[in-house]
Amino acid sequence: MFNTANKKISVLLALLAIGYLVMAFRLPKYPYVPVDADAVPIVLGFLLLLLSGFLYFQKDNHQQGKIRIPKNEKIVILAVLGFVLLFIALLEILGFLLTTVLFLFGNTWFLGYRNWKRNLIVSLAVPLAIYALFDYFLKISLPRGILPF
Amino acid sequence: MEIFSGILAGFQVALSWQGLMFVFLGAVIGTLIGMIPGLGPITAIAVMIPITYGMDPALALMLMAGVYYGAAYGGAASSILLNAPGESMSVPTTFDGYPLAKQGKAGKALAIAAIASFVGGTISVVLLTLFAPALANLAISFGPAEYFALMLMGLLTVAGFAEGSVVKALISATLGFMVATVGIDAQTGTTRFTFGNAHLLGGIDFLVVALGLFALAEVSSLILERKQGSDFTRELGSLRLTKQDWKEIAAPMGRQSVLGFLIGVLPGAGGTIASFLGYITEKKLSKKPHEFGKGALAGLAAPEAANNGASSGAFVPLLSLGIPGSGTTAVMLGALIVLGVRPGPLLMSDFPDVFWGVIASMYIGNVILLILNLPLIPYISKILKIPRPMLVSLVILFCVIGVYAISFSVFDLFLLVIFGIIGYFMAYFRFPAAPMLLAFILGGMMEQSLRQALTISDGSLLIFVEKPIACGLLIVAALSLAVPLIRKAARKNKTDGSMNQNV
Repeated sequence: MFNTANKKISVLLALLAIGYLVMAFRLPKYPYVPVDADAVPIVLGFLLLLLSGFLYFQKDNHQQGKIRIPKNEKIVILAVLGFVLLFIALLEILGFLLTTVLFLFGNTWFLGYRNWKRNLIVSLAVPLAIYALFDYFLKISLPRGILPF
Repeated sequence: MEIFSGILAGFQVALSWQGLMFVFLGAVIGTLIGMIPGLGPITAIAVMIPITYGMDPALALMLMAGVYYGAAYGGAASSILLNAPGESMSVPTTFDGYPLAKQGKAGKALAIAAIASFVGGTISVVLLTLFAPALANLAISFGPAEYFALMLMGLLTVAGFAEGSVVKALISATLGFMVATVGIDAQTGTTRFTFGNAHLLGGIDFLVVALGLFALAEVSSLILERKQGSDFTRELGSLRLTKQDWKEIAAPMGRQSVLGFLIGVLPGAGGTIASFLGYITEKKLSKKPHEFGKGALAGLAAPEAANNGASSGAFVPLLSLGIPGSGTTAVMLGALIVLGVRPGPLLMSDFPDVFWGVIASMYIGNVILLILNLPLIPYISKILKIPRPMLVSLVILFCVIGVYAISFSVFDLFLLVIFGIIGYFMAYFRFPAAPMLLAFILGGMMEQSLRQALTISDGSLLIFVEKPIACGLLIVAALSLAVPLIRKAARKNKTDGSMNQNV
């Protein structure tokens, strides 16, 4: 039943559509409104349900020309994702400058760029330039965090 | 004479020193980003948006337009030098551009690409100047029913023309529309699908969706290609063209500029279809079709003229109707709304500086790009040497800043990452992302005009049949879905369609 990727995805989408529909039907209704807030979501929910049905019976096309990603590359992508999440989580705590410098240098190093002098120059210059641009020129203050400026 | 006075006023805006500076900046940044394989115009524009906050809307759009067609110019360089097209619309450029580079004629190929881009860009801006006001005047009479029909048509044609499965394209459009329904309903004040989260009350910001689905999702492919050598030590050779060369490329450039423009005007069919179609038609028309694919000059000039023509063509529906026909123009629409400009048929009369200023700036921008590209190409192409690991880090950083500077909310940043992950899996399973973004941006407007139309008609759907323009547009919308399905069925019967044969 779930032997192709399309079938698996279509079941997921159908579940999503049902969940969305349940919430849409539970939206409050108002009298004297010709088209209430739930009308469009209900149509969309049923549409997605219908389309996921079509998808279930469609042949997979995503393997065509797609290179399989080796396992260690998957780990690299996941690691970068982890860095990004860490970067976001620490942004307001440590401040823009500190987190950005650490992220740029660390992520670039991790991905295999070993010229640490150049890396350091870019990792310091770019955040400083952006910080100056936003703080002084655009008057948008980025989080300072633990640094005094 | 309305056009004449309008375009004069436009040049006043575009030729001011600020105007010139932003057009120049946009063109340069666009060329640079467009050259980097894997980064296309959508990413280029989305990354520019935070910089335009608080700017004059006319200047902001000039900047973004410059980035847009600059990216179309720049895309040629990586195709020719590295055989690595930045995005799908510059794929046909590699067919003859890369063979030319291998023959040691990279300089000539780059020069032809720049000239063809200039011709395509300029011819289509002239057409844009004539077309856009006419369409805007027509569209002033549009009511909500017509608008709904028009947007539905735009959405369905984008889905219909998307690469691969139409069902998948429709699913991604439906999902995009669903994302647009999150937040407080504008008409009744009902909160929908917020799960009690206060951050979601205002809806999801379009920048989160655009940067996540496109820029952040593209990062994964940049990571996978990070070890690919970006070094080309080959000599570029002379940039000079002979009289014979000019003769060879003149007619294809002229034809494909006009054709590209017309394709660009159609919603859904953008630069990609224009450049492929341009390549195929020129091969058919050519007296020496056997040279195509081995370094034919016409085969290089045609797709470049066509995709630049299409880039300007895409501005016709955006400026005159306020409806984006592609993912890229959708991002520009979103940016304009952030700046407080509501594009639509009234744009021409309400914000003439934006409307005419942008059109005028495109004449100037194309000249700037030609000047910039011809002598400076050898130096600009050095950007291809930026180490990929650094590029990955910088792209991620620009996405994060882009979102944070508009919302100041860490919640939105996590949402950005979620959309990045969704975008990654969509690309992996071949769900096109452009219909999702377009549906997300059009969704709110579509729902509003649908409900307005039904309020006028007291709930009767017949309003869409009784109004001739709305009815016509809906028929086109239905056809745009039917045609790809029929074409696909026909192709199944004839295993090698003419498209596959030629390309």
